[in-house]
Amino acid sequence: MRETRLWSLHLLVIPIIAILLGAHFALMHYAPIFYGVSVEEARNFETMIERGKSVAQLVLYILLLAAGLYHGLYGMRGILRELPLTPALAKLVDWGILSFGIFIFALGAYVTWWTFSFKIGG
Amino acid sequence: MNSNKPTAYNNRLGLKGWVYAGRYTFERYLYLGHRLSGMGLIAYMVLHIIETANRMRGVEAWQGLMALFASWPFKIIEYLLFAAAVFHAMNGVRLLMTELGFFLGKPKEPVYPYSSSVMRHRPLTYIIMALAGLLIILGGSSLFFP
Ligand code: HEM
Ligand code: HEM
Repeated sequence: MRETRLWSLHLLVIPIIAILLGAHFALMHYAPIFYGVSVEEARNFETMIERGKSVAQLVLYILLLAAGLYHGLYGMRGILRELPLTPALAKLVDWGILSFGIFIFALGAYVTWWTFSFKIGG
Repeated sequence: MNSNKPTAYNNRLGLKGWVYAGRYTFERYLYLGHRLSGMGLIAYMVLHIIETANRMRGVEAWQGLMALFASWPFKIIEYLLFAAAVFHAMNGVRLLMTELGFFLGKPKEPVYPYSSSVMRHRPLTYIIMALAGLLIILGGSSLFFP
């Protein structure tokens, strides 16, 4: 049952990734078409901070972080667990991936929060 | 989980078996591509989170990084990443449909000559891959944006 739930979640987060990563690529690669600014400007420090100050951005980036990391790291766990591992090694893979995921998520979430609360001009 | 103990035949192919073990179908290569693109994407995502954390080091650090990404080698890497993401997403949609049982046809009695659900699904597979190819080609145009 637990494995079924974990796998279902791997698939259920896909719509979130599809929408948010689609928008992310549109912004980073097609800014001139979708947002009317140059690619360079879209990636500029001030523009990024400006964007990052909206609550929607804060929530959506954290959602993309969680969904993308879960989907990708669960996929990696599956790949690693196909190797001929002993039960102890399989457990190590599970815990290793989980703690790595939590660490990277915490870093990303902190950076997003930092951007959200950045004071322009000091 | 399989334990892959060596047998008298020792038919474990290891990494080589990822690429070729005789008579692989089109779908088997899509599986390989899906796996490689998935691994590439998660590796990129982790590095990306670490790299974008550089904004906390201030304007100069960030602008230096963006100038580096504006160079040709990085533009090409970004395009390859985009292509991998499009392929993975489109093939992922195909996998979702297969796993949820769409477009596989009704189950039939196994009477010779057998019809397989993979073959019934194949026209759709070709359409999805053609669309992915088109998106990947169109996506290349972003290379020329300033
Ligand atoms: C719209 C975007 C995406 C779609 C539709 C999608 C779809 C899928 C599907 C259907 C699977 C197979 C699940 C199964 O058969 O059990 C899968 C596996 C996987 N995905 Fe994604 N995915 C997307 C984005 C991503 C992203 C952004 C990453 C990385 C951060 C990623 C990493 C992986 C990995 C590592 C696997 C495991 C591959 C394997 O076991 O061979 N995917 N994806
Ligand atoms: C080559 C294409 C990409 C470019 C140029 C790019 C660029 C950026 C930039 C400049 C930011 C900083 C935030 C902002 O400007 O609003 C950012 C954040 C982010 N990107 Fe990307 N990105 C790309 C691809 C991806 C992919 C493929 C993923 C997911 C698998 C992804 C996931 C994220 C996440 C989760 C954040 C927030 C990070 C954090 O909160 O620390 N990006 N990206």
